[in-house]
Amino acid sequence: MFLARIGGTVVSAVKHPTLEGCRFLIAQRLEADGNVGPEPIVVVDWLGAGRGNSVIVSTDGDIARAKLGNTTPARMVVVGIVDQAQSGETRVGSSA
Amino acid sequence: MRLGIVRGRVVLNPAVASFSGRTFVVLEPVTMENLIAGNGLGGGKSLVAVDELGAADGQMVAFTEGREAANPFWPDSVPVDAYCSLIVDSINIHAKAVSSGSEVGK
Repeated sequence: MFLARIGGTVVSAVKHPTLEGCRFLIAQRLEADGNVGPEPIVVVDWLGAGRGNSVIVSTDGDIARAKLGNTTPARMVVVGIVDQAQSGETRVGSSA
Repeated sequence: MRLGIVRGRVVLNPAVASFSGRTFVVLEPVTMENLIAGNGLGGGKSLVAVDELGAADGQMVAFTEGREAANPFWPDSVPVDAYCSLIVDSINIHAKAVSSGSEVGK
């Protein structure tokens, strides 16, 4: 699991059938020093995270498989919206 | 999932039996910098993924990596570790929409 910041939303008409109705967000991985990762990642969200929220993303597909079936390719899932987190001098929170 | 731009296709002959009839695309992962710039560039290290959605050259897809990439073939055991899960129509980021494919940034 890792911390990430939500940057926006993804619109897709053509997708794997198990992903119909899923909400897809663009996230950037947050490092301990406060920097963000260079590549955006697409995550599935069932918690209602929005742009600017800090979240925890799990890379385990078990939750997605339980919800979407054994054949789903979904893997990265928002498993929590961060209220407050601290790493050294770096603080993140959804209100930040 | 990461984002990637379809740059081409791979034809295999021979290949492992479970790859028969599959489409393989070459993907160039997209960096945040290029996504925000909307310049149609990728910037990441290319990889090969299975595509069952019919993604065209220049289109942006989101691809799953790791064990989950083989889930669509369940219960069959297929040695796939990258799979095109969706074709991107648009991305709404930093209050501006970034479109897919060759229209990026226009």
